[in-house]
Amino acid sequence: MDTFAALAQGLMIALQPMNLVFAFVGVMLGTAVGVLPGIGPALTVALLLPVTFKLDPAGSLIMFAGIYYGGMYGGSTASILLNTPGESSSIVTALEGNKMARAGRGGPALATAAIGSFVAGTIATIGLALVAPTVVDIAISFGPEDYFALMVLAFTTVSAAFGSSVTRGLTSLFIGLALGLIGIDLQSGQARLSFSVPDLLDGVEVTTLAVALFAIGETLSVVAAGNRAEETIEPVKGSVFMNKEDWRRSWKPWLRGTGLGFPIGAMPAGGAEIPTFLSYALEKRLCKKPDEFGNGAIEGVAGPEAANNAAAAGVLVPLLTLGLPTSATAAIMLAGFQQYGLNPGPLLFTTNPELVWGLIASLFIANAMLLILNLPLVGMWVKLLAIPRPWLYGGILVFATLGTLGANPSLVELGMLLVFGLLGYVLRRYDYPIAPVVVGLILGPLAEQQLRRALAISVGDPVVLFQSPIALTLYALSALALFGPLIYFLLTGRRAPVGGDED
Amino acid sequence: MKHMFRGALLAAAVAVAPFGAASAQVSELKIIAPAAPGGGWDQTARSMQQVLQADKLVPNVQVMNVPGAGGTIGLAQFVNTSKGDPKALIVGGYVMVGAIITNKSPVNLSQVTPIARLTGEYEAIAVPANSPLKSMADLVAALKADPQKVSWAGGSAGGTDHITAGLIAKALGVDPTKVNYIAFSGGGESLASLLGGKVTVGISSLSEYDAQAKAGKLRILGVSSAERLPEAKDVPTFKESGVDVEIQNWRMVAAAPGITPEQKQALTETVDKMAKSKAWTDLLAQKGWADTYLSGPAFEAQLAKDIASTQTILKDIGLAQ
Amino acid sequence: MSDPRITTTKRPDKAGFVIAFGLAALALVVGWDAWRLASINAHSAVGPAAFPTIIAAGLALLSIATAVEAIRQGAVERPRDEIGPMAWVLAGLIGQIVLLPFLGFSIATGWLFAATAKGFGKGPVWAHLLAGTVLCFVIYVIFAKGLQLSLPQGPLERLI
Repeated sequence: MDTFAALAQGLMIALQPMNLVFAFVGVMLGTAVGVLPGIGPALTVALLLPVTFKLDPAGSLIMFAGIYYGGMYGGSTASILLNTPGESSSIVTALEGNKMARAGRGGPALATAAIGSFVAGTIATIGLALVAPTVVDIAISFGPEDYFALMVLAFTTVSAAFGSSVTRGLTSLFIGLALGLIGIDLQSGQARLSFSVPDLLDGVEVTTLAVALFAIGETLSVVAAGNRAEETIEPVKGSVFMNKEDWRRSWKPWLRGTGLGFPIGAMPAGGAEIPTFLSYALEKRLCKKPDEFGNGAIEGVAGPEAANNAAAAGVLVPLLTLGLPTSATAAIMLAGFQQYGLNPGPLLFTTNPELVWGLIASLFIANAMLLILNLPLVGMWVKLLAIPRPWLYGGILVFATLGTLGANPSLVELGMLLVFGLLGYVLRRYDYPIAPVVVGLILGPLAEQQLRRALAISVGDPVVLFQSPIALTLYALSALALFGPLIYFLLTGRRAPVGGDED
Repeated sequence: MKHMFRGALLAAAVAVAPFGAASAQVSELKIIAPAAPGGGWDQTARSMQQVLQADKLVPNVQVMNVPGAGGTIGLAQFVNTSKGDPKALIVGGYVMVGAIITNKSPVNLSQVTPIARLTGEYEAIAVPANSPLKSMADLVAALKADPQKVSWAGGSAGGTDHITAGLIAKALGVDPTKVNYIAFSGGGESLASLLGGKVTVGISSLSEYDAQAKAGKLRILGVSSAERLPEAKDVPTFKESGVDVEIQNWRMVAAAPGITPEQKQALTETVDKMAKSKAWTDLLAQKGWADTYLSGPAFEAQLAKDIASTQTILKDIGLAQ
Repeated sequence: MSDPRITTTKRPDKAGFVIAFGLAALALVVGWDAWRLASINAHSAVGPAAFPTIIAAGLALLSIATAVEAIRQGAVERPRDEIGPMAWVLAGLIGQIVLLPFLGFSIATGWLFAATAKGFGKGPVWAHLLAGTVLCFVIYVIFAKGLQLSLPQGPLERLI
């Protein structure tokens, strides 16, 4: 078959020793910047573009692929070990991953993240090679009303998955929604809740909020607890690698995460965060031991990690098939293509097949290389947790502020870290869940913009929201997520085996 | 931020000493990119850095990112901290003109010393290949019939795309506030909605639509340039189609407020040399940026004209008072 | 983050009231902003004020619900938090913001490191400040040379 011959050809190019070196440099760089919150693959590739122009196209694109996937790995490593999500798509990973790390299960958490990312990345890259044109047609057919329905689904499933107290979960969510209002409204150009502070016009950065709530908020509550919380963190309890039970509990979430991540990542307005939320909610619902969720359930790491890596490959679908850059990193990769006089667009697959297949092949290589490099390092990484707490937390705060400063050297941004850090402390102290705040900040603006786009296109006619079959299907799924347990109860007379307490 | 000023002075004193104050050679520059690394203005600043250093026009060039609020945060910092500093430059563009007005920015472009326009892009209007709108005339007819039925996909509200749509409506005698403009946050997203046929027309820079048009997925109805463009020879200009709108989304470089005419002269000469160098032309070609270089009084006049017309149209759209 | 030593009594929960009050204040701010936006005429079907209005209403309802819960559940006994160590960490964060424009990235962030370590009971501050500053200076050099990103400069950073 043509595809496989082309792919084999691509692999041959990517496996040349020099290109392997580029891939290695890429994954190392990517991992390093992925660890830093605020500084991600997009920024790194952008800064490296002038440097790499002197290299040949294949070499530098291979390096970019390495940075791209490396960033994802780095993001999850920081989430799990330090509770500072390096990228917005690894926020969910911190929820269970960091709990696992604190319970001495950092090794399995990192391993399931690495292997899950590899599995998802590989499957999604195969998907990219084989079904990209079909997937992109479906993805393009999503209109604003369908995206709105997708957001509704995300809201309903996610809010069902967080916390035991409805009031508390909703309070956190609404705080996040209120924060999401800050900044210039995209549709009308009006500034909202900005109080004439120019730095607020761009809104609250997701990584800033997440790092502040998770890392700074936690540092504050741990230091405030003083001797009371003097549990020494044991870096390794049991095996540093995944045991049989971990494997058994991980492989299905990996596949389900891939199934969610790839298509949503391929949608022009899908992104990598929503599939991680959906995956987390789904795994919590399907888990046989739901009460482990919130205390370090391995499914809650395996699923979202697979989802974000699959989404990363999904983002390349519209880029390679249509030339549509749908994420910051994709936009920069597009600039990289253009630097070599290549114009990604509907014709790229036919005009430059060797390059496309070379890139796809280098994604495989980068993925495999990351797995090979990271698995042996797991033992070393978890030793980080053995650092005495004064230095560990000092380092975490340096890290958190460094990432923010690198991307935007603004004092207001640091001030936000402080204020949201205090918010995180207060929420922790009074038993409010943290994650819904971030969910509100991410989903709120997306839902609002899509709804208003849909209604503007229809000139105010709300019927448009319920006309498309895609939207209706998604609403049906939302209803199922909300009322599923009730229906189950009515049919069987037993309580549905879902929903444990988070805390 | 007083330290920056002092630091710059100190650096300037050290750097200038061997040459004497009258030397026209610029030994050192600090370019503010009022955007996050990777954005258009950042790339412009870094390209300047690359060429100025490679051609030894200026031995030491630093780029500093001050992102936020359409460049107005960087502009405010520039105006406040580098007054009279002959080593400071800022990159900016047409988007900043609009942002200053809509964000009610306390500083504006009259407070900096414009040096030159470096590059620019033209706006284009495109429809899906199967759209009933075949030409600009069809779009004009549709707009005149009912402007609300024509949905436009473009960038954020008040940006270049929105301004162009407003100007077109106004040129046709259609109420600009009736333009059914749908803002998207990224080029990919708005292009997807256009390809998916969710909106009537798309408005964006020509380069965004070029590849799709070549593949036959989109039809470009018109461009905002004064004459037909070499990369799209068969696309008529708006003016040819009887819509009197001409707009360029340009990027420029400006110097600090309060510098002496000699200092301004030295900077202009340096930038002139850079713009004429082979390295710069090669870089523009490589990035796909059009060379719309314009410096001196001609640029200042153009800038003043753009600011005035933007002010008016933003008022007409209802985004400024 | 619940604590096993939580007990409840019949008195209403003060903290609950404070949170309810905070939510009410937030609802007022968001609502006021929505009211301001609504007066600017928007030309679309759903303007910029619609979502803020819904969110303000939601916050107001949650404020009431929180207050009701505070009365019904009664006071919750929470373990005392230690103010001293927390003050050190906060001083580290605030100090970094204050020092950054004057002393640059390395020293300001070195201070953050030292103050945090002190908060967690590890001194002396000056030794940690020194170590933190050296560490941050190395980071600065990596960023400036490797990534071409300029972090805020101070006297130390200008040396290179």
